[in-house]
Amino acid sequence: MANLKDIQRKIKSVSSTQKTTRAMKLVSTAKLRRAEELAKRSKKFANKLNEVIAEISGRIKCSKLDGLDSIRYLANNENPQMVDIIFITADKGLCGGFNSQTIKAAKNLLSEFHDKKVKVRLRGVGKKGIEYFKYNEIELLDEVVGLSSKPEQERSDEFIQASIEDYKAGKTDAVYIVYNGYKNMLTQQLHVNKILPLDAEDFSCEDCPSGSLLEIEASDQEKLLTDLIEIYIKSNMYYALIDSVAAEHSARMQAMDTATNNAKEMVRSLNVAYNKARQAAITTELIEIISGVESMK
Amino acid sequence: MSKFKLEILTPDGEIFNGDVSSVTLPGEEGEFGVLPEHASLMTQLKTGVVDIELEDKKTESILIDWGFAQVDEKKVIVLAKGAVAIRGSNESEISKALENAKKLLEEVADSNTAIASVSSKLESAAKSILK
Repeated sequence: MANLKDIQRKIKSVSSTQKTTRAMKLVSTAKLRRAEELAKRSKKFANKLNEVIAEISGRIKCSKLDGLDSIRYLANNENPQMVDIIFITADKGLCGGFNSQTIKAAKNLLSEFHDKKVKVRLRGVGKKGIEYFKYNEIELLDEVVGLSSKPEQERSDEFIQASIEDYKAGKTDAVYIVYNGYKNMLTQQLHVNKILPLDAEDFSCEDCPSGSLLEIEASDQEKLLTDLIEIYIKSNMYYALIDSVAAEHSARMQAMDTATNNAKEMVRSLNVAYNKARQAAITTELIEIISGVESMK
Repeated sequence: MSKFKLEILTPDGEIFNGDVSSVTLPGEEGEFGVLPEHASLMTQLKTGVVDIELEDKKTESILIDWGFAQVDEKKVIVLAKGAVAIRGSNESEISKALENAKKLLEEVADSNTAIASVSSKLESAAKSILK
């Protein structure tokens, strides 16, 4: 009889877990819809900005505007000495491989640079990634919690500003950003983006509209371009955060869906076991009664 | 009639996207108008109103706080940090847009004279829609 009770207890526990996972899935679905909308809207801005930057940096390269080669943001350093890696993970777990994928990618990048004898500084966003690196005793330069679950333009600007300042001052030679982005409801896509220095490589001189020279209307051309590039980097960072939130919710939704299904399957097989045990118990009881009656005859 | 494409974007989404016949932008060094076939230009914009003239002679005004404009022969792209379009089909919608615009203006503008001149422009734009 103890066996029956055990099974019953198990069924109860599994089905209550199932309730939790189902609720979490519903919450994530609702949140995902909002995050997806936000990501879509800011994607337009980010893409347009990328276009503008690509065109301008390409044109600068082609037309060799005076005095602009000196902008550090555009200078491509072949042998970086110091690199900043920014990784974005979630603050919460229970979202499948979402966090571990990002951490793995960050780690790979880290060891790649180590092999090349490049010093790396890690800057983390999101509790899960920070916890992982702390546990493995890898030093983090900077850590921010709460930003990845609720992206805010101001905090994101503040965070990236530190990297920009260091880059400008020559302390770092490149800045990478690693995050898991949203692709569609079912898949996430890992991004490893080099945000500094800017690559003007993609733009070939043949794409320049002929006969149209770029005129920059400002008393200080360098300042204008520097400002524009800073906006570009900030928007990249903010977009990465938004994209990562959308991806986090889609990953969690999926993970919780799978968990709910697994729990359902488990309850079903436990129910079968329970019924079997119950039948066995009844049969034994019957036999006992019958044999008791038999012996009294 | 000649026209060109105008896009106004902010990190929170697209504010305007369409064909226009002319546009006036609040440049860092003064307002400037853009007509089709304008030479390539890149400039910084300050807080102010973007006046758009659509193909059918209708006008539209959009407040921007700060941004960049890229102009070439066929298109104008405005990348702003924040923007509010003054538009709506009835009085209450327009006055609400106006209110939002003023809120944005107060957040970003540094001098009172700048606020006054831009907000008077916004009001006249709102009035012209209502007429």
